[in-house]
Amino acid sequence: MEKEKSFLLGVFEDEDVLLHSIKDVRSTGVKIHEVFSPFPVHGLDEALGYKRSRLPIAAFLFGMMGTSLALFMMYWMNGYDWPMIIGGKPYSPLPTFIPITFEATVLISSFGMVTTFLLVCNLKPYGKPRIFDIRSTDDKHVMTVDLVVNNKRSVEELSKILKDSGASEIIRKDFN
Amino acid sequence: MSDNNKKYWKGLEQLSNDTEFIKNADREFSEFLPIDESGNTSGETGRRDFLKFMGFGIAAASLAACEAPVKKAIPYLNKPEEIDPSVANFYASTYTDGGEYCSILVKTREGRPIKIEGNALSGITKGGTSARVQASVLSLYDKERLQGPLANKNKTSWDALDQKILAELQNISSRGGQIRIVSNTIISPSTKNAIAAFASKYPGTQLVQYDPNSSYALIEANRLSFGSAVVPSFDFGKANTVVSFGADFLGTWISEIEYNKQYSKTRKLGPNKKEMSRHYHFESILSLTGSNADYRTPIKPSQEGLVVAQLYNLLSAKAGRTSISTAKTEVKYLTEAANDLWNSRGKSLVVSGSKDVSVQILINAINDLLGNYGSTIDITNPSFQKQGSDLAMFNLIKEASAGQVNAVIFYNCNPVYDHPKGKDLEASLSKVSLKISTSPRLDETANIVNYVAPDHHYLESWNDAEPKRGFYSLGQPAISPLFKTRQTQESLLRWSGNAESYYDFVRNFWKTNLFPKQSTHTDFDIFWDRSLHDGVFEVPSVAGTQPSFGGDLAYAANSINKNYKPASPEIELVLYEKVGIGTGSQANNPWLQEFPDPISKATWDNYFAVSKSLSDKLDVKQGDLLKVTVKGKEPVTLPVLVQPGAQKETISVAIGYGRTSAGKVANNVGANVYPWAVVDSNGTISFNITEGISAEKVSGSRPLAQTQTHETFMGRESIIQETILSKYKQNPQSGRYFPQISTSEGKKRPEDLTMWNVHKYNNHHWMMAIDLNSCTGCSACVISCQAENNIPVVGREEVLRRREMHWLRIDRYYSSDADLKDDATFKELEIASENPQIVFQPMLCQQCNNAPCETVCPVNATTHSTEGLNQMAYNRCIGTRYCANNCPYKVRRFNWFKYHDNKQFSDVNISMNDQLGKMVLNPDVTVRSRGVMEKCSFCVQRIQEGKLTAKKEGRRPIDGEIVTACASACPSDAIVFGDINDPESAVFKLLETEVAERAYNVIGEINTRPNIYYLTKIRNKEEAKA
Amino acid sequence: MQVTSAIREPLVTGGKSVNDVTNDICRRVEEKPTKLWFIAFGISLITLAFGTYCLYRTWWDGIGMWGLNKTVGWAWDITNFVWWVGIGHAGTLISAILLLFRQKWRTSINRAAEAMTIFAVLCAASFVLMHMGRPWVAHWALPLPNNYGDLWVNFKSPLVWDVFAISTYLSVSLVFWYLGLVPDFATIRDRATNKFSKFFYGTLSLGWIGSAKHWQRYESVSLILAGLSTPLVLSVHTIVSMDFATSVIPGWHTTIFPPYFVAGAIFSGFAMVLTLMLVVRKVYKLENYITIEHIEMMNIIIIVTGSIVGIAYITEFFIAWYSGVEYEQYAFINRMTGPYYWAYWSMMTCNVLSPQLLWIKKIRTSIVATFILSIVVNIGMWFERFVIIVTSLHRDYLPSSWAMFFPSFYDIGDYIFSFGLFFTLFFLFAKYFPVINMAEIKAIIKSSSSQKGKK
Repeated sequence: MEKEKSFLLGVFEDEDVLLHSIKDVRSTGVKIHEVFSPFPVHGLDEALGYKRSRLPIAAFLFGMMGTSLALFMMYWMNGYDWPMIIGGKPYSPLPTFIPITFEATVLISSFGMVTTFLLVCNLKPYGKPRIFDIRSTDDKHVMTVDLVVNNKRSVEELSKILKDSGASEIIRKDFN
Repeated sequence: MSDNNKKYWKGLEQLSNDTEFIKNADREFSEFLPIDESGNTSGETGRRDFLKFMGFGIAAASLAACEAPVKKAIPYLNKPEEIDPSVANFYASTYTDGGEYCSILVKTREGRPIKIEGNALSGITKGGTSARVQASVLSLYDKERLQGPLANKNKTSWDALDQKILAELQNISSRGGQIRIVSNTIISPSTKNAIAAFASKYPGTQLVQYDPNSSYALIEANRLSFGSAVVPSFDFGKANTVVSFGADFLGTWISEIEYNKQYSKTRKLGPNKKEMSRHYHFESILSLTGSNADYRTPIKPSQEGLVVAQLYNLLSAKAGRTSISTAKTEVKYLTEAANDLWNSRGKSLVVSGSKDVSVQILINAINDLLGNYGSTIDITNPSFQKQGSDLAMFNLIKEASAGQVNAVIFYNCNPVYDHPKGKDLEASLSKVSLKISTSPRLDETANIVNYVAPDHHYLESWNDAEPKRGFYSLGQPAISPLFKTRQTQESLLRWSGNAESYYDFVRNFWKTNLFPKQSTHTDFDIFWDRSLHDGVFEVPSVAGTQPSFGGDLAYAANSINKNYKPASPEIELVLYEKVGIGTGSQANNPWLQEFPDPISKATWDNYFAVSKSLSDKLDVKQGDLLKVTVKGKEPVTLPVLVQPGAQKETISVAIGYGRTSAGKVANNVGANVYPWAVVDSNGTISFNITEGISAEKVSGSRPLAQTQTHETFMGRESIIQETILSKYKQNPQSGRYFPQISTSEGKKRPEDLTMWNVHKYNNHHWMMAIDLNSCTGCSACVISCQAENNIPVVGREEVLRRREMHWLRIDRYYSSDADLKDDATFKELEIASENPQIVFQPMLCQQCNNAPCETVCPVNATTHSTEGLNQMAYNRCIGTRYCANNCPYKVRRFNWFKYHDNKQFSDVNISMNDQLGKMVLNPDVTVRSRGVMEKCSFCVQRIQEGKLTAKKEGRRPIDGEIVTACASACPSDAIVFGDINDPESAVFKLLETEVAERAYNVIGEINTRPNIYYLTKIRNKEEAKA
Repeated sequence: MQVTSAIREPLVTGGKSVNDVTNDICRRVEEKPTKLWFIAFGISLITLAFGTYCLYRTWWDGIGMWGLNKTVGWAWDITNFVWWVGIGHAGTLISAILLLFRQKWRTSINRAAEAMTIFAVLCAASFVLMHMGRPWVAHWALPLPNNYGDLWVNFKSPLVWDVFAISTYLSVSLVFWYLGLVPDFATIRDRATNKFSKFFYGTLSLGWIGSAKHWQRYESVSLILAGLSTPLVLSVHTIVSMDFATSVIPGWHTTIFPPYFVAGAIFSGFAMVLTLMLVVRKVYKLENYITIEHIEMMNIIIIVTGSIVGIAYITEFFIAWYSGVEYEQYAFINRMTGPYYWAYWSMMTCNVLSPQLLWIKKIRTSIVATFILSIVVNIGMWFERFVIIVTSLHRDYLPSSWAMFFPSFYDIGDYIFSFGLFFTLFFLFAKYFPVINMAEIKAIIKSSSSQKGKK
């Protein structure tokens, strides 16, 4: 994070304007550092050219884990570790194991996935986030441009590009 | 009887009969146990205390399972040779309560009697028991028994008491004063001897025997008819036709256990026995016996005499004898009865519970007419179980109130409470200077005497009995006396200046009188030990010809015409004795108070049982309060019970309730109706009140704590399967119901439809067969189960909430008129017939092999054993009650509260709430804690014990060695238990054939595969007409 | 989806701007609690206290304090349990299934609905503990290693299925709910003025900054969670219904139960959501966010599910007759005409007849009528469970054991306990958490406002 010290913030009022501006800005070859919005804007990730998230895969794997764990647990406990005659049924009848298998699958897959999500997004209690502009959680969309990364262009140039693309205001923000 | 295989020798010396042993035979163990707190170094006291501590210790230990700390566990210092910890000893003994008799085996653990079993060696009770016999063991540990002698209500010592009494007696007899010993029937020859000894010392002494529910009329009738004032011995086993006029011989009449045995023999059916007796019953109330009858006719008490006379006339017509002239009365089935009786002459029996001498004379005449004397009735070998003379007691009261009696000794009787003239007696006693009671508790009579010399409980005493001529029975103590009580016979000996112990006295009596009667043993000691071991000694009955009938029929006819009317619209009243509470002598026994009456299923109360029509007329519902007034007597207010089968205009109410001084349990439960009994000019007591009765509804109600509130079985054939004899003969499967389930491949038997292949039970597989035809509903099994399995008593309030804990219940179903209709609605099926057929169905855990309860338990607390048992692990149970909900038989019981060591229940559940009561607990069975489920375990503790014994001897258990408590208690052998994998076992032999004939599972269609089979109920009657 | 909303009434009225949304919702959290809130909260606390006393007596003296007996082993306890679980169905259903169907109108109600779900399930769970004879060993129902060696639970028992189903449902709903709260917590955090709430909401918001990358993952996570929760919701009441369906008791042993219970659950769930939302709407003046449109949508769902339930009742009767099983037939005749007929008929009136009124648009769109009906429906659903449990048990196979159940003081007290618990939690939620999902509203506000513009 060392080099990212100073940023140029473009503040947008409206998500549609934002989406257009992103196209324009990127077409000029300026590298957009990140966009912050108070709510999910559809098409934002495509506009920024982000790849699809791989969380679904994680969810699936965790799900499979749940299924096999549950089945193993039940077969081992009721069928192998201490078999008992219950209601004249076999020691481990599969049909009666289905409900729990399902529940365990859901439980482990959802918890696994959410945990992964929190980890990859580095979300945690007492996390000290780097807030560019607090209005970005209220009603403003904030596009940040890293001055270090885009050092070929001057600050004025960048702010002009943002302004033209429709930013309502331009702010310079330095972290130290 | 598993107990037959057990050895009762009190050790080797008994066999080798060494002198030291004989000297100590009356003691629990012959060597001295150096435990001593009272500073008294005689073996006696030390051992007694020791035994008490032992009892407490084990009781506490048995409670450890419910997280109670183990208290007062005293280790053996040196082990008495016939007591092995955790191994039960059985002592043959004798239960007597007045004339009530049962030969028993007492099961003791570490010196504590904990269970009564029947003694199969007895020729009378043949191993059968009754509810009252089973419950008697709890009375031993009743802390409300007197703990020592009283002089004018103050504690005193025996020596002091003896001095005082001796002084007074001498003084009285020196003045030639009159002394009366009042008692219920005494069937103990030695006791009679002791009394004789007393009488010889004090010449003015007379023995007055009376019975709360006497057979005086029967005795009188026999005196007038045959010149011998006795109760003959009846043999229902020989009778093909039984006709009873209100004699409840399976419930409360004279010797019910004996009769149950005989009767059930004639009701058994099987591939090789397709005949059964036919039983007609004419009565005013619905009695246990009546509910077993094939034909039952309700008659009014005021008709009874005429109906009997009618029967006599019908028979005399057949016999071509002169009939007697009495008003004609037609009642249903009387003609049929006459025909059947005539056709089975000599193999029939007519009995009557009537307390009217002339009626009994007619009964004798009828039996004489039928030639039953010598076959079903034996008067030369009479029964001694009812000797009470109403007249004697009547005279006593007269003399006493006339001040002609100077001393009265009440020997274990309570006339102030249980005699109709109790109040007069109480008043007259003020004129008697010396009043002594030997009652073991401070009862209504003991309350008003000068001296109380409390007797032992019978389990603490030596005694003998002769219930029937030639049938002798020996009673030995199974525990040293718990309190400072003294056996009455011993008291009498003391007071007659005889220092001999009663043990020696009995022994000498047997030596002089019984030893000569036999020839097997030449040495008395061996004979004595033999008798002690067997508990009984029986001499062949005297053949002798029966005396010929010489009754005065004209006299009888006259008095009958005078006292009975063919029909009257008047309300009449009948007092009767209940199977559980009896005459009230054991009223303070909570097991009996919570014992569901076999017919009404009511507990904890007596009540006015009235017919539906009468209840409508009086505008009362079940539980409403009814005030009944008998002319010239105190009115009584009790709740109403609507009783199907009761005679239309007859109210019936049970004696034995309304005790005022019996103890916490019994006091003020119900009302005392003895005073209502009619006493005529020559003292004869009658329980039928036919005049001056008025009944009116009073405000308020008292719900009756019934364990079953629904009366019919709703025509559900998969629960009750019954048929009639004629059909059974044609097709043994008659009455069976075969449910079928439609599938894609047509109809299938439920047992053929299963997802799983069933588990095999290869080693043992315990099964039970219950014959609905033999079961008379006497409910001895219920109490036996309660005693064996430490089942708590929960009290009236909880029973009202339908929370009784009995593991085994007897379901009683009335037939409904709608049963015969095909298009009967459910509402119609719910209504019992006016005079219903009754079926009793013992219902306990069915030990299903496909148990619904097991499947649903979340924690595996109830699982199936490899021997087919449905097991309950109390300590694993978390109490979701799902198993109970899912039990189709509703036999699971939940511990709603903590029933042990809990003030809330200490008054009723005495066997778990005080140190003394806890001595009755069976140490082999856990006392359940609150919040867990419990249920019948097929007496798994007995199964395990049996298997262990067999294992130690390196063999398989023998059939009969392992028996459940219910099966062993049953007086009619309706319950057969055993290992179906053992081809020698009775249950195997029975089911082998019956599975194809009468045996069925209850609710077979849900395919729970129970381990209990029921055999269809078969009635010996003609096709019922709708 | 744009099309559907094109013909729709605006979902958010009053021409709210994104900023207004933030202010309207956050104000509730930031301002001092109102007097009204204190009163309401106080009452629920008192209720809770009373209930706790009754609960204490039940646990101290034993289940005997209830009116149960040897024949009726379950009554109010399990009735209440199933009732609460049922109520707990709406929330997750709304947020999951309606999310999958892209039903935008869910956005203004799902937050509160989910909260309600979680509290309802907690109440249900409390009855699971309460009904045990020995609650102190409740953990034995879990497959935990124990000092008894290899002593495990019985996976064949529907009660163990319940344990898994309820706990899974509770925890997954909790996660789902919390995930939705995170961006809103961030908003509040950024508006927070005093240190405490900055720290408090800062902690809860897990340092959310709303970057495009996060939003992308966030969206896919909530989508998958929705996908997982949908079958979960359906499974929970299915499994609860198996407690009865897998038994042998006539009236319980019925294959129709799973769908019938699920429909019933949604039915009662929506009714409860309506009851609560109508109150919140009034008190917090959220008329512009929870519009008549919303209420009408929910009412329509109530008609549908209510009718499904009605058909289920009738089907049961048909099957009882068609099966030819006398026990089954008696069980149902007894429901209608037996000693508990009143329970049956109140169920029928409340569940089948009353919702039919909603066919009339006037009633469907009337706040008062909706409020009353929503309560009526929940009364009806309580009776449904009572009828199924008690009338089936009290007269089953052996007439000798037939008995009646009468509730005791403590049956009622323990039920009241659950209300105390529920409302205490709900009022806390309503005060300190954003009752409406701001982020989602903001996401749709433009489209809906623009609709307004076009009109």
